[in-house]
Amino acid sequence: MLSYRSRIAVFVFLTPPLLAYFVAVVLPIFQSLYLSLFEWDGIFDPVFVGLGNYVKMFTADPSFWGSLGRSLVYVAITLVFQLGVALLIANLLTYATRGREIIKTLVVLPAIVSTVAIALLFRRLYSFDPPGLINQVLSLVGLEGLSRAWLSDLGTVLTAVSVPEGWRFFGIYMLILYGGLLAVPRDLEEAAKLDGATEWQIFRYVRFPYLRPVWITTAIMATTNALRGFDIPYLLTNGGPGESSELLTTYMYKTAFAHTEFGYASALSVAIVLECLIAVGLILFMVRKRGFTV
Amino acid sequence: MKFALVAALASLLAASPALAQSPAIPPAGDIVPREITWLASRPSDGPVLSTVRQIADEYAAQHPGFKLDIVETPDRPSYLQKLETLAAARQLPEFFDTDATPFADKLRQQGLMVDTAALLDSYGLTDQFRPVALNYDRFGDGSLYLIPLEFGMEVFWYNKAMFEAAGVTPPATLDDLPALCPKLAATGVLPIALDGVDGWPPQRMIAWYPFRLSGADYLDKLKRGEAKLSDPIGVKTTQWLASFASNGCLAKDFSAQGYTDARDQFTQGKAAIYYMGTWETEAMINEASQAEAVRGKIDYFTLPLTADETTGANEFFVNSGIGMAVGSTTFDPLVYDFVKYMLTRYSELYANTGALSPMTYTPEKLPNDAPLYAKIVAEIPKLGSLYAVPWDTQLDPKSNTVMQQQLTLLLQGNITAEQFQQAVDAAIAENAPRFFK
Repeated sequence: MLSYRSRIAVFVFLTPPLLAYFVAVVLPIFQSLYLSLFEWDGIFDPVFVGLGNYVKMFTADPSFWGSLGRSLVYVAITLVFQLGVALLIANLLTYATRGREIIKTLVVLPAIVSTVAIALLFRRLYSFDPPGLINQVLSLVGLEGLSRAWLSDLGTVLTAVSVPEGWRFFGIYMLILYGGLLAVPRDLEEAAKLDGATEWQIFRYVRFPYLRPVWITTAIMATTNALRGFDIPYLLTNGGPGESSELLTTYMYKTAFAHTEFGYASALSVAIVLECLIAVGLILFMVRKRGFTV
Repeated sequence: MKFALVAALASLLAASPALAQSPAIPPAGDIVPREITWLASRPSDGPVLSTVRQIADEYAAQHPGFKLDIVETPDRPSYLQKLETLAAARQLPEFFDTDATPFADKLRQQGLMVDTAALLDSYGLTDQFRPVALNYDRFGDGSLYLIPLEFGMEVFWYNKAMFEAAGVTPPATLDDLPALCPKLAATGVLPIALDGVDGWPPQRMIAWYPFRLSGADYLDKLKRGEAKLSDPIGVKTTQWLASFASNGCLAKDFSAQGYTDARDQFTQGKAAIYYMGTWETEAMINEASQAEAVRGKIDYFTLPLTADETTGANEFFVNSGIGMAVGSTTFDPLVYDFVKYMLTRYSELYANTGALSPMTYTPEKLPNDAPLYAKIVAEIPKLGSLYAVPWDTQLDPKSNTVMQQQLTLLLQGNITAEQFQQAVDAAIAENAPRFFK
């Protein structure tokens, strides 16, 4: 039981951040929820439509379902970088004897570059005419046939807008995972080595079980961040060509500020919140089903 | 961030005050200098803003305490986001930029814009504006709530040397235009440079054929859902657009090319044709910024005709750019007086920058001696009375988005003309009734 003074201290220190969280996070969610029950163009008086926006969203808007599907693909590609590549490099880094700090700095660098600069960079990388770096490399190695307009080709554009998001933050997640790997007891690894375990077996049966809580937290962070991805796809293609790189977030933005359907856009924003909650719930469900604790 | 923006709008629901009344012109009272704001969506270093800044400085010298704060947001989607948020909060500034769009019409209906027809009449300046410049800014019912600050013709800039090398001449008819492409492409150049990132340049293309065949009639019916793209004019238009893909007219990655990318393709000698307004005249006559092979080779032709046209060769896209609205909630004697001073000074100062003015004032000596510039200036008095209007300012916003998205696919050859017609007709049928009752 905390003393009276301690309880006062807890109250004093906890109240401001909780209030800030309520104002910045909880209140907007409930305001959106409220606005989603109206049809409103921002000019004339809002008209109460009950659950009409949700009925439209789930039953009569193919753009919603299409955007949702593309958002999931976007998340999957992003996670390949932010969980897969990040884990691989973090693991390799533990074996490095030189240049570790330089590598850590280099992989974190994209996270501090502005979004607009990243979008410009990738627009040049993907350029077809004049050929960007990717098409130039393909030509150099004799694979001209694979050259294409990456941001205009309906078959490649979604991947092309997803990769920069994955690349941008994978360094941050790599650092988190690397920190987790450093905490694995060395004596256990050495014991496994003495027992004749291969490096893969050491990773699988010693390192990863220790890393799992960090990895799950990282997975939740990366997934929810990717589900909210907006800026790079918006700047690179604005959802195009057609709707081939339209995500739920860019669709919501257009609905609000291009179509001036603020009520329906609020319903879409509520769907994004639900999508994030479901994703986190699914990750935790799968983890607990396997008997792990976070 | 976007989530928070939408959420912020929710809080405005309860804060929306009663409808504003249209203000009296001129407003009663004394001029009390203060800071006023212009929410502008124009290039920061362009002639409009630099001219108005100069005028505001003059006015401030005569009225201590006055200041014009120009909030510049050249990127149009970002600008519209700001405008819509401020409109929803009933916090529109003294001046803001907008086209005569369906959204702006709602602002007008709510009494949030000053009647600029009455305003210009009260200044005695109406006759000093080119009628086409004023008409472009009018709403469908003929009312005027915007002030034009620019004037431009949209033309096809082309490279004479590239045409000569390909053995082609400027097209006489619209059907001749896509037919030029294979010959131009065979010489190793890109036939037509097009900015596909912004939706409006491709959307100009869909307007050309209907304008030639019906003037403003077809668009006026289409936007209300009274005509369809599956009607004969629409079918002819969309099939013609599809031929741009089959004839290889556009860059494979045009949908990822921005405004300056497309212009650079032309001025750097990679593309043969570039459709854009005369506001790009400076880039066309400034040889220092051009590739050597382009210098002295640029000319232009206007919108080609069709076999059954109802419009004249001197009638095409002529517009006055985005207009400036005067907000009614902050309209007072100071704003009234400043606008009068601004418009009185604007004509001369703006025309002397070399830009084409929406007012009839013409400098005694042309500010530029380039032959191409003189040719454009000489074209203005010959213009007809009818002009094409951009479809993106006429269609309801949702249908407009669908059209722009599908048009890219049509021009890339990803969908057929029939699929395009179906998608856009369905969007208009669903959304137009909410805007055009």
